[in-house]
Amino acid sequence: MSETPIIDVADVHFSYGPGLPEVLKGVNLSIQRGEFVAVVGQNGAGKTTLAKHFNGLNKATLGKVKIAGQPVEDQALAVIARTIGYCYQNPDHQIFSSSVVKEVGFGPGNLGYPPDQVNSLVENALKLVGLTALRDAHPFSLGRGQRQLVAVASVLAMDPPVLVIDEPTTGMDRKGSAAIMELLSQWASDGRSIIAITHDMDIVAEYIPRSIVMSGGEIIADGPTQEVFRNQAALTRAHLVAPAAVVVSDRLVSYGVKYARSVDDAVQQVTSICGGRRSHAGRV
Amino acid sequence: MPVGYSIYRDRPSPIHKRIDPRTKMLWLVVLFGVALSFNQPIILGVVAVGLLLVARVAKLTWSDLRAFLLLSLWLLLLSVAIWPAYIHQGSMLFAVGPVAVTGPGLLFGLAMGLRIDIMLIAASIWMMTTSPQLLTAGLLAIGLPYKAGLAMASAIRFIPLMNAERVTIVEAQRARGLDLAHGNPARRAFRAAPVLVPLFSRAFLTAQNLTVAMDARGFGAGKTRTNIIRLDFTPLDRMICALAVIVLIGSVVLRLMGIGGLIGGTG
Repeated sequence: MSETPIIDVADVHFSYGPGLPEVLKGVNLSIQRGEFVAVVGQNGAGKTTLAKHFNGLNKATLGKVKIAGQPVEDQALAVIARTIGYCYQNPDHQIFSSSVVKEVGFGPGNLGYPPDQVNSLVENALKLVGLTALRDAHPFSLGRGQRQLVAVASVLAMDPPVLVIDEPTTGMDRKGSAAIMELLSQWASDGRSIIAITHDMDIVAEYIPRSIVMSGGEIIADGPTQEVFRNQAALTRAHLVAPAAVVVSDRLVSYGVKYARSVDDAVQQVTSICGGRRSHAGRV
Repeated sequence: MPVGYSIYRDRPSPIHKRIDPRTKMLWLVVLFGVALSFNQPIILGVVAVGLLLVARVAKLTWSDLRAFLLLSLWLLLLSVAIWPAYIHQGSMLFAVGPVAVTGPGLLFGLAMGLRIDIMLIAASIWMMTTSPQLLTAGLLAIGLPYKAGLAMASAIRFIPLMNAERVTIVEAQRARGLDLAHGNPARRAFRAAPVLVPLFSRAFLTAQNLTVAMDARGFGAGKTRTNIIRLDFTPLDRMICALAVIVLIGSVVLRLMGIGGLIGGTG
């Protein structure tokens, strides 16, 4: 018998009000524990609208959403928050406390954990995101990337088995993006499910094993990221372009190059195939 | 989540398309004056019905006006319920506990409710038939400094934006387990801090960014400023404005003559 999916979406339709157009048109989706999933698509495709069904912020007009086998509509949002952590795109939509440690402690405090456990969860979350040294800093005195990490830590501190994160790397430099994606990968490998809504195809290729492509309120592709990036029809329909490293590695398959997750990966493979030889100009 | 950007309803009506915003503004002032001049429910009722006819000519639908009409009805009922406790002239019709309810008391409550309703409905029709741009252009044309006009237009534009921000912030905090629905009002007000702090900080930041963006585009460099919207005050507007002045003067004169007052010296 297969394991109960942590998120199960069955034929979900949704519109924001009577008479308004459907934003989701019959979405079916199943996510298992420990999966790291990207939800991609152009603006208005329904990605965030779908994700807000996972914690009951949106209620399906038709169809069912189950979290760990329980229908979402039977549970209060504060209860679902124990299972589904939701990190918004803009950290400034949630930061309000006068110190990082208070901000990160807000969520676990709301869930009613005893003070000792809250402290332990907060310290652990701060350690995970590398903000322990800034625990007493005012969140508004931090840079955009660090505020994003505070927002992530404040959700991680609630210790949810599922983390939904909207645009995890927006406004962050390459180093910050890599740090946060490494952290999410680590979390997924610890058995938690991560759902990242993103427009950044480079991070999808490099870090996220499964991708879901949405267009016009429907899922038009769902599978291993490598296969999704080969589904040119779906990419075209969703106005997406596979990262250069993926395209190049695909074209060099006959030379023995495998799916490359990043430019570094592609270069390493090509270098290896060429036997590490360099031209006189120093190029491979 | 979709949010409305303005209560303006773009309809192909003569009130939307043929009447200058200044004319509509004058009529708004006149209607306020008329409402304050009389306290006779029949006269005020006729004005209220007239306003609904104007809404019909403006092609406004029931769903456009529903919220305002329901609020008007609630205010009317509230007024009818409250005023009899203060107006004791006339013979008693019935008693509610220690309060003797009289006919004039009920009629005065009705009149005061209609007075507020006329102001509310007139203002809502004005906002629904005048786009924010035309509204600002109209105010500038009657001498409002353009910086004040821009401040007003920005304020109108910011209401739905800030509402959208509020919705997002509430969702973000609820997703972190914040319960805003339960508990007594004092507790709920205290729990609103996680919503209010980000909302105000976003509002200040947005305003600051707008200021910098406006400065960068030369706003305030000159004392005067051209406007892309050209207002056209037509002979029709002159006629309607003349009628407005006659109605206002007539209302004041009639009231001074003692016509249209329910209870002498009150209201």
